[in-house]
Amino acid sequence: MKCRKRARCAVIVLLLCTLLILCLCSCWSKRELNTLAIVLGTGLDVGDQPDTLKLTAQVVKASEIGAGSAFKGGGSGEKAYVNISHTDKSVLSAVRGITHMQNRRLYFAHNEVLIFSSDLAKLDMAEGLDTFIRDHESRMHVNVLISRGKASEILKEEAELEKMPALHISGMMENQQSNSETVVVTLRDFAIAALSGSTAPVAPMIELYESEGKKHVKLEGTAVFKQGKMIGELDKTQTRGLLWVTDKAKSGAVTVDTQGGQVVLEILHSSSSLKPVKDEDGTIRMELSISGEGFIEGNETNKDMSRLDNVEMLKERMKDAIRSDVGRAFEQAKMLSADIFGFGTAIRREYPEEWEVMKENWDTVFPKIDLNIRVNFKLRSTGGLTEPVVPGGEQ
Amino acid sequence: MNPEMKKISWKELMFAVFCFMHSTILRSGFIISGTRNDSWAMAFTGLLFTLPIVAIYVALLRKFPGKSLIEIDDIIFGPVVGKVVSVLYLFFFVSLAVLNTRDLGNFVVDYMMPETPIEAIILLFLIGCVYAIHKGIENLMHLSTLLCIIAVGAVVINSILVLKDVQPGFLRPFFQLDLMKYVQGTVSVAAVPMGEILAFTMITPMLGKRKKAAKPLWLGLIFSAVSMTIVMLRDIITLGPLVSIVSLPSFESIRYVSLGGILTRMESIYAVVLVVLFLFKVSILLYAFVLGLTQILSGKGRTSPDTDNADQSPEAESPLNPKNHPPLVLISAALVFFYSIFVFESVMENMNWGATTAPFFSLTFELLLPAVSLLVASLRKIGKVREVKA
Repeated sequence: MKCRKRARCAVIVLLLCTLLILCLCSCWSKRELNTLAIVLGTGLDVGDQPDTLKLTAQVVKASEIGAGSAFKGGGSGEKAYVNISHTDKSVLSAVRGITHMQNRRLYFAHNEVLIFSSDLAKLDMAEGLDTFIRDHESRMHVNVLISRGKASEILKEEAELEKMPALHISGMMENQQSNSETVVVTLRDFAIAALSGSTAPVAPMIELYESEGKKHVKLEGTAVFKQGKMIGELDKTQTRGLLWVTDKAKSGAVTVDTQGGQVVLEILHSSSSLKPVKDEDGTIRMELSISGEGFIEGNETNKDMSRLDNVEMLKERMKDAIRSDVGRAFEQAKMLSADIFGFGTAIRREYPEEWEVMKENWDTVFPKIDLNIRVNFKLRSTGGLTEPVVPGGEQ
Repeated sequence: MNPEMKKISWKELMFAVFCFMHSTILRSGFIISGTRNDSWAMAFTGLLFTLPIVAIYVALLRKFPGKSLIEIDDIIFGPVVGKVVSVLYLFFFVSLAVLNTRDLGNFVVDYMMPETPIEAIILLFLIGCVYAIHKGIENLMHLSTLLCIIAVGAVVINSILVLKDVQPGFLRPFFQLDLMKYVQGTVSVAAVPMGEILAFTMITPMLGKRKKAAKPLWLGLIFSAVSMTIVMLRDIITLGPLVSIVSLPSFESIRYVSLGGILTRMESIYAVVLVVLFLFKVSILLYAFVLGLTQILSGKGRTSPDTDNADQSPEAESPLNPKNHPPLVLISAALVFFYSIFVFESVMENMNWGATTAPFFSLTFELLLPAVSLLVASLRKIGKVREVKA
């Protein structure tokens, strides 16, 4: 009896094992590495037909990544990427359209940059944004950039220190903290600004320039959006002004003019806070206080900048420089009537009832809002030198 | 079978309650989409709303110590009406099992394996549940401590990882929405994750008659409310206004984690915890259903209040253990399988149900029926008279 039971048991176990093997061999959504085209950068342009867009995906050529130049010698190696473009009515149909041309399917989980051409951004950003945020494959920490000119051209730049233009750009974005002249915006930041209802989203701008016959990219300026469309730009100083207000300016070099020449100050760290204040008559104005610390990075004059009166003078110049940056950014924002600083959000948080009234015609109220700037800047040291290398002037 | 084997401790039950609710807490999108940046407060108000509901269960369990909900029905309403009430409860249990199974299926299909048919995922998932029940629900209860540590650990780790990206300002302004939204949010929290504690009235007999069932239920509930607050706060301060438009706030907030380009894609932690907790929850619901079904089918209609033979544990008496009825477990799992495939056509339907109908559906079983039971019991003066506290 026992023996038979055991035999039956064994048969059942065997059957179960066979069944389980079926689960192991494959599953529906499997993705083998050799069937994937790993996308590192995506560019979106206006298509040549009306109502279409052109998607350019930069795909890694894994075999070329590993091939070191030591074996091949400079210049003989092939490019480590392929740019695949397709024009179609929507992002997704363009992505699927690429399957007509390639044996691998685009895989967006490792996408690092998403570049919109400014032409497309002026028409409509919504579609690309929605698709890239909604899709389960792509991630929200993708850097968003706006290109002057075609996005597909940007992805063709001839980067010299990096094999992949997309990685070059995303690496560049990580470095931008040290100059505080470029906004670094991820899809999530963009979406949060767009969803706030009052804040105008911003994104860094990228453009091509030619040097020694090669095309390179550089980051310059900021694109400003409203209702999902690009409506204007900020230049370098205005961008820095924006970063001061939004507490993103953390480091950077500021050159101030003195009587004897230029002095370069480096910002070590800084922080700012933006607060709406209600006056007695009920109007709301914004109080911005910026505090920062820095040291002397370069002295082109022949004066001793360690003297306390000079230190005071430098501090004043620095404060003026910050004020003027912020002022310029504010002027530009007023002109565009775009709340790039998030004043609306700050007011909503602090004075929700007043905000209910203001939000109806925020576009006209925003340019009339007063901004008070208080700057507190400390000069910590003169760096490695106390006196200039070439002395002169009054000591 | 050995009744000693079936005993669980009150701590295990408490952790089980926590794990049971935590699975729903992790997918709190349906609450956050309504009350937005104030959702964290709903955990408190929802808890306050749930306290009287759980007080009813506790009162019922005190009146009839060592009895399960289905047995209590028979005692209160008599063999015929009691069966009808019991069938209603069973319908509720099986519906909850179905809805949760469907939720899990949707999650896996939407975020990980979009091309896989949902049937395959649900089938594999239910095989896991059946296996768990077959091995004995008490083992699952013993595991609850471990699961609880994993779940809490995941919340802690994920919260630390998102610290870099949080903006506490997203919480403000406080309480600016319509009052109705908050009422809705409170009822949703009370009815959907918290009230589902009703299923544990099928498990409490495992504590044995000597032990009080109240303490683990209360403590589990309070711990869940605390963890719910933390999870929601985290999601709100990481995602800001995005929190109310994404389908799974916790998933998205963890997805953004990127520390030094190395610690990324942490949502796999979340996914694993979610699947394991859902397995736990559906197993308990399925067990509650199967146990109830066994008790009804075995025809133990006891009309007289049964307070004297306090020493006999109910499991020891009879084949009331679903372990002895494997076909019933399998058939129930098959029922859940087909029901969960047909229950909703899409996630949108599911969300609509969750936002509009689910609270009322759930409260019918979680509040109305137990309240009526308690009322009838006290009117008919059955059960232990002491400590009637509602």
